[in-house]
Amino acid sequence: MFFNSLAFAVFLPLVFFLYWFVFNKTKNTQNALLIIASYYFYSCWDWRFLFLLVFSTFLDYYTGIRIEKSTNEKWRKFWFWLSVSVNLGFLGIFKYYNFFSESFAQMLTTVGFKASPILLNVVLPVGISFYTFHGLSYVIDIYFKRIKAEYNFVDYSLFVSYFPLLVAGPIERATHLLPEVKVKRTFNFQQAKEGICQIVWGLVKKVVIADTCATYANAIFDNYASMNSFSLILGGVYFAFQIYGDFSGYSDMALGMSKLFGLELLRNFNYPYFSRDIAEFWRRWHISLSSWFRDYLYIPLGGSKGGLWMKIRNTFIIFIVSGFWHGANWTYIVWGFINALYFLPLLLSNSNRNNMDSITLKWNFDSVRVLFSILTTFLLTCVAWVFFRAKTITDAVLYLKKIFTNGEFSAQYLDNERYNYELLLMIGLFVLVEWNNKTRVEPISGKRSMLKMALAIMAIIAFGTYSDYKEFIYFQF
Amino acid sequence: MKKFLLYILGIFLLTVLVSVILDGLYTYIFMQSRNRGKVETVFNSTAKKYDVVILGSSRANNHFVSQMFEEKGFKTFNYGMSGGHLFEASLILKLMIERKYEIRNVILEADLNLSNDQESEGVATKFLPYIHWSETIKNHFSTEENFNELYYIPFYRYVKFDSKIGFREIYKIVSKEKTNALDNLGYYPLEKHKNGNMKNNIVNLNPLPYNKYYEEIKSACKKNNINFIAVMTPMCENVAGMNYFDKVKKAYPEIHNYENVVTDNKYFSSCGHMTDEGAKIFTARILKDFFTNINIP
Repeated sequence: MFFNSLAFAVFLPLVFFLYWFVFNKTKNTQNALLIIASYYFYSCWDWRFLFLLVFSTFLDYYTGIRIEKSTNEKWRKFWFWLSVSVNLGFLGIFKYYNFFSESFAQMLTTVGFKASPILLNVVLPVGISFYTFHGLSYVIDIYFKRIKAEYNFVDYSLFVSYFPLLVAGPIERATHLLPEVKVKRTFNFQQAKEGICQIVWGLVKKVVIADTCATYANAIFDNYASMNSFSLILGGVYFAFQIYGDFSGYSDMALGMSKLFGLELLRNFNYPYFSRDIAEFWRRWHISLSSWFRDYLYIPLGGSKGGLWMKIRNTFIIFIVSGFWHGANWTYIVWGFINALYFLPLLLSNSNRNNMDSITLKWNFDSVRVLFSILTTFLLTCVAWVFFRAKTITDAVLYLKKIFTNGEFSAQYLDNERYNYELLLMIGLFVLVEWNNKTRVEPISGKRSMLKMALAIMAIIAFGTYSDYKEFIYFQF
Repeated sequence: MKKFLLYILGIFLLTVLVSVILDGLYTYIFMQSRNRGKVETVFNSTAKKYDVVILGSSRANNHFVSQMFEEKGFKTFNYGMSGGHLFEASLILKLMIERKYEIRNVILEADLNLSNDQESEGVATKFLPYIHWSETIKNHFSTEENFNELYYIPFYRYVKFDSKIGFREIYKIVSKEKTNALDNLGYYPLEKHKNGNMKNNIVNLNPLPYNKYYEEIKSACKKNNINFIAVMTPMCENVAGMNYFDKVKKAYPEIHNYENVVTDNKYFSSCGHMTDEGAKIFTARILKDFFTNINIP
């Protein structure tokens, strides 16, 4: 059941109705309903993995309590490492086992040994990377005594399994979401209205921008050998907007529907393609994951303390791990590595926190510099996206090489029966709308809201791509 | 909460309004379409006179050279549609009759397409913009599974089939961009392809014992005094020995079997589609067999 499916269009209003009209007596009834709805939502993918989700939830719930109750440091450590290793173990088996097995066999073959990898025939449980990280952050925070353990299993389960964020985030923190689910929610018209606007804008991003860009990006990436330089450049740009529209659209819908239930989730995107350098990009892109790695990996590794080499080492570690988190493929690791390389000059010149202020453009030379920085950052990001999108590293390298060696910049007719440049106008319009609303969460609410809503609805039904349906990219992670 | 429910109701009504407006706008534009395809051309036309109308799938579209009929003095148009089934062939004939076309002969390519009586989504979609403007189209689609959604939900058909009748097609109609569907009097010549697929396994294919749309075409012709000629058109060497065409002949004895008129692979672009050269040999034979003793009015 996807957010943009007809089944979900029935599911969400039904849950909303039950939540505010039937189960609205106490926070326990509200939470119980959301848990039932979340488990039903999850079981629509594959009910067998529901057991894994419930087990993972129970494990973290129980170990959290044991860590808090243990007076002996040895036992605290034991429960902590039990939780961490089981969580990472699940992730390792389902997501990374085959990758490591194949890579190891390949390595042995290169040094002259004959080896055939033993592979597991398992499907990756949807959302495993997200709910595992929810649980991990909770247990780590208890272990380091930042938070108290949660004793109400329903409340804790809701924190892990809440359906809007269950399969593709944002990755919530116990410090943020748990206090929200601990109190009874009362209906707030303004909040719910904002939620609707955010859902609609998320849909625009998904079906109008992401899915349309996907048809072009796929036609170019899947046939890159026969593409000219112009098409290949456009392919990178289209994929950049595909993944942005897809993931930030999903996040907008998750945040929007949470507002309908009186809950505020962490913001996951803040107009990342308007970033002036790569450090700013990572403060604006998939914010909940970046901050997770910062808090639970970068800082425990020593962060920026301990000298320059330590800083560089830690930066490379979090970017590579972040890449690997996305999927068990060398392309993601290289994508992470490239981003670390982009980050390096900023780190060395101590300018990674230069662009913390908001962006304003005026008719002066400084604005030209800002625009140039934004464009450069976007282009660098597109180059990295090529590795993210390509099937293999070789494909990515050949793709980039061909951009520089082909030298043809003409219109090209693609496999999707359209010309390569056809989408530029739509993207330009989208960028313009985002730019004019970059200080807000979404562009629909506010003045002339109904007119903007009508335009958004028109865009969704008239310009959306429906016949070539695309799943949300981040569901596979 | 009441305020919010009213707000949601407002958005719902807004969505309906936008859908109705867009539906009206798109349909209006499709009503002006003249040069994009065969369906639009027939729908937006008035009474025409034809000596020969050719119907069928791509195996009609690529096999009957309209110009050769014209050279013999027969006013002809090839309405064969690539990817089409008999569902669409029957509907386009009904539309012609509805528009009071005067047709003397219908040549129907009836062979592989007899094996199903389903609509061909890609071609049938082209009729959908007009569903509220033609009882014929409405009735033809009324037995389809998703008829209610297509007919009653405004703009649904344009969303569902956005790649065929969505805003890109609208843009092309408005900008009067022409297609080649109507060139060569509807005939589309094929060239020899070096890598053309010359294999087609039709061993397990069976014609339906009663094909609803074939019978519709036959009875529409009878009712309107149109001479009905049903033919099986040639296929490549690879299918020799697979007795599909014999099965057709057994189930529908009135269909003329021309499977073996052209067999040499050199005349085929792919196994089911002859090249222009092959089509000319085949058309010459059809003209000889059916149109030598017919007086030109």
